[in-house]
Amino acid sequence: METVWLFVAAFAASALGGVLGMASGIFIVPILTLVFGIGIHAAIGASLVSVIACSCGSAGQLLKGGLTNIRLAIVLETATTLGALTGVILIGRFSPATLYALFTVILVVSAAQMLSRRKEMAIVDGPPPAGWATRLRLHGDGAPGASSGAVPYRVGNVPMAWALMYGAGLISALLGIGSGVLKIPAMDTALRLPLKVSSATSNFMIGVTAAASASAYFARGDIDVNLAGPIALGSVVGAIAGARLLVGLPADKLRLFFVVILGLLAVQMLLSALGVHPVSGAG
Amino acid sequence: MSVPPADIVRGDRFIEPLLRSGTWLACALIALGAILHAAPPAGRIPFLGGVSVFAAWAGVAILILLPVARVGVMLVVFALERDRVHAAIAASVLLIIATSVAVAL
Repeated sequence: METVWLFVAAFAASALGGVLGMASGIFIVPILTLVFGIGIHAAIGASLVSVIACSCGSAGQLLKGGLTNIRLAIVLETATTLGALTGVILIGRFSPATLYALFTVILVVSAAQMLSRRKEMAIVDGPPPAGWATRLRLHGDGAPGASSGAVPYRVGNVPMAWALMYGAGLISALLGIGSGVLKIPAMDTALRLPLKVSSATSNFMIGVTAAASASAYFARGDIDVNLAGPIALGSVVGAIAGARLLVGLPADKLRLFFVVILGLLAVQMLLSALGVHPVSGAG
Repeated sequence: MSVPPADIVRGDRFIEPLLRSGTWLACALIALGAILHAAPPAGRIPFLGGVSVFAAWAGVAILILLPVARVGVMLVVFALERDRVHAAIAASVLLIIATSVAVAL
């Protein structure tokens, strides 16, 4: 019976998250630990599998749209996978309480990020500046915009984005999330990509980032397939259902609802970090 | 109208079906495992129990391996295009993932 509830929880988180274009990963670990009383290490493993499933499930469609910058993705994946490798090495040194505290910080930052809208900062014209983006031929030659065909763009500060992506990979491996919270500033502010290119490329990279740590946890026997299976399935089906059925929901009200939920989860995770609530399973 | 980079046109021809079919295969295996696990005969027929466990395990394993396979495909595509720099970058991503698994064991 628990399998059904795991499926339902992942389905709901993914369907609602999908309306706002956010991955459900950030909700999975709090749901598993706070609602189902599962240890945080097992929850992180299951969440990583669902993050991969959602990334792979939607990457194909985005590739067809020609929005994904494949060269940029592979360059930045060296950073995210290195970060994930660091996380795999470090995770055993963190107590469950420390991981709960770190998760609390990420939830608070995510809530703040959700309140402030992303701004389009893309550079679409001018000669390519000297730097890594030009050397590695990363600039967009023609990413289709919303409806207007090709929109060329310049890729900005690659070293700064690389550093942020290393942090994103590290956080992803430690907390079992897609780390959109660090990827959004890297893609929007450091690289100054058009928002649609930024989202598509980021989503494309999330799968590899999560796979770097998930494969290590899987090889170590830390991923419970009876937990990860229904969560991954619920997330994939939820993302599809959300995109088709919930498009009519008012995004602004939903955004506020999610900010409140993220805030409540942050309080609960902080209480777990402080040991106010018993930490089930303790890792 | 400018032309999309060659890698986007050629790469997604291989990557898109790989990710789409792989995700569906993995989901089907996970669902099969869950249904067989919950089905009343599973407890009485040992064979079904084994299939249920294997299907769930294989589904999760395929999901985890899909993005790694995608990097492998990109490595081949870059190599075919004689794009040595990006092929080397793709190879280094695979090496980092392999190291990650090695340190975990």
